Amino acid sequence: MLNQSFGGGVVIPNPHPVETIEIISAPLPDKVVLPLQQRIGDEAIPCVKVGDKVLTGQVIAKTEDHFCVPIHASISGKVVSIDEQTIPHKSGLKSKCITIESDGKDQWAEHKGCGTDFLHCDQATMIEYIQSSGIVGLGGAGFPAHAKLEGIQDCHTLIINGTECEPGIMCDDALMQHHPREVIRGVEILLHICGAQRAIIAVEDDKQEALNSLLMYCHNDRISIEQIPTKYTSGAEKLLIKALLGIEIPSGGFAIDTGIVCQNVATTKAIFDAVVDNKPLVSRIVTVTGSGVELPNNYEVRLGASFEHIVSMSKPSIHQHAIRMGGMMMGVDVETTSVPICKITNCIFVNKLETKPSTQECIRCGQCNQACPVDLLPQQLYWYAKSEDTDKAMDYNLADCIECRCCDYVCPSHIPLAEYFSFAKALHRKTTEDQYRTDIARERFEFREYRLERNKQERTEMMAAKKEELKKKMANDKAQKDKIAAAMARVKKTKKANDDA
Amino acid sequence: MMMHSNALNTNQIMRQVIYALVLGIGAAYYFFGWGVILQITLAVVTAVVVESTFLSLRKLPVKPAISDGSAILSAILLAISIPSIAPWWIVVVGVTFAIIFGKQLYGGLGNNPFNPAMLGYAFLLISYPLQMTTWAGEFLNLSQAIDVIFNLTSVDVLSGATQLDEVKTQLALGKIVSELDVHSISQAWINAGFLLGGLYLIVRKIITWHIPVAFIIGMVVISSMLYFINDQIYLPMQNHLMLGATMLGAFFIATDPVSASTTPKGRLIYGFLIGVLVVVIRVFGGYPDGVAFAVLLMNITVPLIDYYTQPKVFGK
Repeated sequence: MLNQSFGGGVVIPNPHPVETIEIISAPLPDKVVLPLQQRIGDEAIPCVKVGDKVLTGQVIAKTEDHFCVPIHASISGKVVSIDEQTIPHKSGLKSKCITIESDGKDQWAEHKGCGTDFLHCDQATMIEYIQSSGIVGLGGAGFPAHAKLEGIQDCHTLIINGTECEPGIMCDDALMQHHPREVIRGVEILLHICGAQRAIIAVEDDKQEALNSLLMYCHNDRISIEQIPTKYTSGAEKLLIKALLGIEIPSGGFAIDTGIVCQNVATTKAIFDAVVDNKPLVSRIVTVTGSGVELPNNYEVRLGASFEHIVSMSKPSIHQHAIRMGGMMMGVDVETTSVPICKITNCIFVNKLETKPSTQECIRCGQCNQACPVDLLPQQLYWYAKSEDTDKAMDYNLADCIECRCCDYVCPSHIPLAEYFSFAKALHRKTTEDQYRTDIARERFEFREYRLERNKQERTEMMAAKKEELKKKMANDKAQKDKIAAAMARVKKTKKANDDA
Repeated sequence: MMMHSNALNTNQIMRQVIYALVLGIGAAYYFFGWGVILQITLAVVTAVVVESTFLSLRKLPVKPAISDGSAILSAILLAISIPSIAPWWIVVVGVTFAIIFGKQLYGGLGNNPFNPAMLGYAFLLISYPLQMTTWAGEFLNLSQAIDVIFNLTSVDVLSGATQLDEVKTQLALGKIVSELDVHSISQAWINAGFLLGGLYLIVRKIITWHIPVAFIIGMVVISSMLYFINDQIYLPMQNHLMLGATMLGAFFIATDPVSASTTPKGRLIYGFLIGVLVVVIRVFGGYPDGVAFAVLLMNITVPLIDYYTQPKVFGK
């Protein structure tokens, strides 16, 4: 049972529920666009040229950085271009992408992993396979999975996150319902890697089907499955840990600091594929939903296929739509459906265009502080963010805001609070940087002043010393001259005396 | 895409508060008659005119600000705080002052540190003490009320001081509490009306329980202490609770979110201290009732209270 839940959070009903959750295999796309810039780390360097033939699962780009994962071809075919393309990003950014045209054969490159009897493999090999297969966090964060698993010392509990991060998304639910065996086996692999005594799979209490199918395949005493209340932001790692174990990860700290490793269910399944077969991650499950589609559903689709490729299968209405990648709360709006599906694309929202309710003044009603899952006071933060008083906002713990938008959701004045907070954070960073630069500049200036002053002084001292020396020398010279003169005088005298004689 | 909960928006919140006032206003009407309704009408008209004018002077859109209902709510709160037979210009001057100096000069809704209605009330009480303390003593019909408020003919209606005022005078004359007959059916009913309306607001989750409960506890604690010290010169707590603007203050005035404390712990401190101050001002101050001054005094302390009562942040 649950130890304790966190305060706050909001209950948001799934806006577009479906009766049975399926996974439809999307057909092979004609072409895929694979961005070289992953969520975290350096841009990968292509190791293929335009015109090269590639096989599915073949590495087409990589970096030297061990933190990053290589990029694999997600279909077999021909590289047709390596150039800038629009990627799903909130600013409509372009990034260098490799475009592959399908040959329709889907021929795989060879790959071999630990096999189903994976327990004989050592941890390092498994982690190696996880990295070389390109596994990143599929819950939406895109953090490289191997980086989270390397160098684990004391892990007592492994948490597998089977909560959908936001209402409306169904891809993890679908995965648990249809691939429970792989998930459970994946958990066993992770237990082996982490050396944890136990694993907890957290499933929200509205996902009964998923729970049942996991229970059916779970015969391991070390793995337990726990239900948690369906509430938005319980999928956030730190809040999930609090709900399951009652442990509060310190602000600014990481789960592993307290001996906990957390992975998403889809990542766990991908890890299973990676370790058993060393099968590269070339596809993922994506939910297509929203008010603009007739048939919301989940699709197993190759990475790099366009959004349009699966949106068209959900019967979109003929009207103009607002497209959003990720959840309705924390996702990002994208301009078109021609952008490629990436590893972090867990959901595509296709919505009818709506007029936003107009924003009104904050009346400090405090509904936001009741909704805030990390117990901030958004109404106070808003006040200071609006007046750009970032110091005061930091006093009110601005840095701890997870930008989950629960406050936006409940605000009776429809204020986009999280946007203000994200802006204030950026402003604070800039001010701190500027301050740092100013400090450096001032230090430099002060040092220069000091140096000039010191040089001047040294110079004066040197001059004085030289003068002194000269004086001494001159005095010396005079003494010498006197001596010479005296000697000369003596010589003269003697000479004269001799002459006289 | 923006997601919003289906809960009430700001306009609906203001409207709900106005609806919740109906019971108390109804009770006031029952005892004092049409004057109550006329004062509210005058106040609302003044508020709309002043707010619209001021917004146009500030070159801001008028319609959204009027339709948010906040000016109307402030006007109603002020109108039910003043005597129903006060001359018409009292409420007009009070509301104008409240809207301009209590709200618009600070930047409009959400930016005012003081409760506008109470600022208007305090201004009136200090400037026109006679008109502000003469209450109707009987039910007035519409024509009587119009006559009195607009001073058309010199009608003679039964009027007098409020119970709290009366008690103060009598005690000053040397009487003791046990000799006084402290009860006022009208005030008890009006207070009961506002209490019920306030409970409705809590049930509808428009206000939280913190401020009203702390307010009442504050009053109970301080008045019981005083009564325990000397029951001959201090009124018992039930008198304090059912006289004057207690329930209106606890549920509708002190809970004005804009000028109140906003943290859960802060709300308790804020409400409690208002309750204490109300009794202290009633007993030791120069004015018969203390709600307005207590609220205004505590309004000033809100930034301080909020800063020091921040909840513990997750992971800190």
